[in-house]
Amino acid sequence: MRSLADRATGWLARGVIVFLYVPIVVVVVLSFNDSDVTYKWAGFSTRWYGVLAGDTDLLSSLRVSAEVGVASATLATAGGLLAAMGMARLGRRFRAVFSGGLFLPLVIPEIVLGVALLSVFGTLRADLGLTTLVLGHLVVTLPYAALIVLGAHGALDPALDEAAADLGCNAWQRFRRVTLPLLRQPLVAAWLLCFTISFGNIVMSTFTSGVGTTTLPLRVYSLLKGGLTPEINALGTLLVLFTFLIILGAGLRQMRRVLVGGDGTPG
Amino acid sequence: MTETVAAPPPVSPPPSVSLPPAVPTRRTGVRRTAVTAALLAPAGLTVGALVLVPLALVLRNSFATADPYGGIQGGFTLANYHELLDPVYLKVFGYSLGMAALNSVVCLVLGYMVSYYLVGRPPRRQGLLLLLIIVPFWTDFLVRTFAWINLLSPGGPVNALTDALGLTHGPTEWIPSQGASFVGLVYAFLPTAIFPVYASLRGVDPALGEAARDLGCGWWRVHTRVLLPLARPGLLAAALLTFVPTLGVFVIPVLLGGGKHQLIGNLIVTLYTEFRNQPMGAAASVVLLALMIVSLAVFGAAAGRLRRAQRKGGTS
Repeated sequence: MRSLADRATGWLARGVIVFLYVPIVVVVVLSFNDSDVTYKWAGFSTRWYGVLAGDTDLLSSLRVSAEVGVASATLATAGGLLAAMGMARLGRRFRAVFSGGLFLPLVIPEIVLGVALLSVFGTLRADLGLTTLVLGHLVVTLPYAALIVLGAHGALDPALDEAAADLGCNAWQRFRRVTLPLLRQPLVAAWLLCFTISFGNIVMSTFTSGVGTTTLPLRVYSLLKGGLTPEINALGTLLVLFTFLIILGAGLRQMRRVLVGGDGTPG
Repeated sequence: MTETVAAPPPVSPPPSVSLPPAVPTRRTGVRRTAVTAALLAPAGLTVGALVLVPLALVLRNSFATADPYGGIQGGFTLANYHELLDPVYLKVFGYSLGMAALNSVVCLVLGYMVSYYLVGRPPRRQGLLLLLIIVPFWTDFLVRTFAWINLLSPGGPVNALTDALGLTHGPTEWIPSQGASFVGLVYAFLPTAIFPVYASLRGVDPALGEAARDLGCGWWRVHTRVLLPLARPGLLAAALLTFVPTLGVFVIPVLLGGGKHQLIGNLIVTLYTEFRNQPMGAAASVVLLALMIVSLAVFGAAAGRLRRAQRKGGTS
C-alpha cells in the first residue's frame, strides 16, 4: 500500500516532467502560427519556415556556429582521447593532479573563463574571430569530451592491449586496430555532445566572437532583445529537432554515463 | 611492469635477444615518459594557456588602473575593489546570492521529488523517464529561455489559463518581471539538479525505506531520517551545480527580467562590453571566482564530513 503522501509526490514529479515540456511544445506549436505576433493564434501555416530559409543574416551565423562547432568538437575529442591515453600511463598522484586541472573549467563560472580569455587576446592584440571562438569553445568542451572518453577508456580490458602486443603489434598498430575501434562509440558520443555544447554556447561566444563571426545564439540573443518573433520560434523548433537527433546519434547509454554515472543501466 | 626497480641485479644475458626487456631500461624509461608527455600535452596546454594563464591575468588586471579608454594601464591599486563596495554594486551581489540560493533550494526540492519518483519505477520505465529529462537538458539554452516569452506574454497561453480561471481579466504584463526571470532560472537549472540527486538516490537500497516504514516511521520521517541523508552527496553536488552557475547568468535577467535586476553575470558583461572598464570587470570576475571557491570549500567540507560520518557508521 502506497501512502497518500507518496502518491502526491508521484503526481508532483509527473507535473515537473510535464513542466519541462510545456515551454518546448509551445515553441513548436507557435512556430506554425500564421500571425505576425507569437501569442495570438491565427491558423496553421509554415510560412515562418520560409522566412527563416531566406534570412541571410541568420544563415550566415548558422554557418559560423557550424564551423566553430566542428572545429572545437574535433579538437576537444582528440585532446580528450590523447589525455585519457596519457593519464592511463600516469601514477596515482600525477593522475589526480592532471584530472584536477582537466576538470577545472567545469567548476569555474563560464563567464569568468570568457573574460579571462578576452583579457589574454586583448593583451596579445589578437583579432577576435573564428580562431578565438574555437579556442574559447575548446576550453568549454574539452572537459566534457575528457569525461566521456576517460570513463570509456578506463573501462577497457587492458588484456586486449597486451594480447595485441604479444601478437607483435607496435604501439601505433595497437592504437589503430584495438583502442580506436573499441572506443568508437564513446568518441562519436563525445564529438556530438561537444558539437551541441559549442553550437548552443552563448556565454563564451559573447567574449570571443569578433566582427563578422556572430554565432547563431549571439544573433538570436540580439534579435530577442527586440522582441520574440514567430520566425525565432521556427528556428527554435528546428533546434529542438536537432537535439533529438543528437541524442539518438550519441546513444542513450553514453548520455546516461555522463549525466548519472555508472554503466548507464538504471537500477 | 610499470614499477621501476632501482638497480636490477646483474644477470647473464639471455640466449634469445629478440625478447623485449622485462625491466624498463633507462632508455625505454625516457621514451615512455616522452610518449606520456606528448599524449598529455594538447589537453595540458589547453588548460594551462587558455585557462590558468588567463585567470592569472584577470587577477592581475583587477589590481590595475584604467587608462582613459578603460584599458589596462598597469600599476597597483585596490580602487577597483573599493568601488565594488558602492551600494549599487553591493545590491547586485546581494540580489545574486539571494536568487542563486532560492534557485538552488527550489531545484533541489523538485529534483529530489522527481528522483524519488524515478527510483520507484521499474527499470525499463526509469530509463524512459530519464530520457524525458535528458531531452530538455540538451535542448538549446536560448530556446528554453525564449519559450517563456511565448508562454508569459500578455494574451499568451498562461494568460489565457488564468483568464479562464478568473485569476486575471484580460492581457496581463508578466514579462519583464523578477518572477519571470526566476521561473526561467528554475527551468534552466532543474534538469542539471535532477541528475546527481537521482544518481545518489539510485544507489540506496529500497529495503531501507521499507524497513523504516515497518518500524513505524511516517512518510516524513522516512525521508528526513533515512532517504535524504543517504542522498546528501547528490544533493550537495546538485546545489553546487546550480548555485555557482546561477551567479554568472546574464541572458535570463535580460530577456525575462528586463535587465533591471542584475546578476553578477550581467554586471561583468556590462563592465566589459558597455562601460569598457576592464579593471573593474576583472575585479567583479575575481569576486565571482572567490564566491565559487568559498562555495566549493563549504560544499567540500560538508561532503567530507558526510564521508567520515558514513565510514564511522560503518555497517550500522
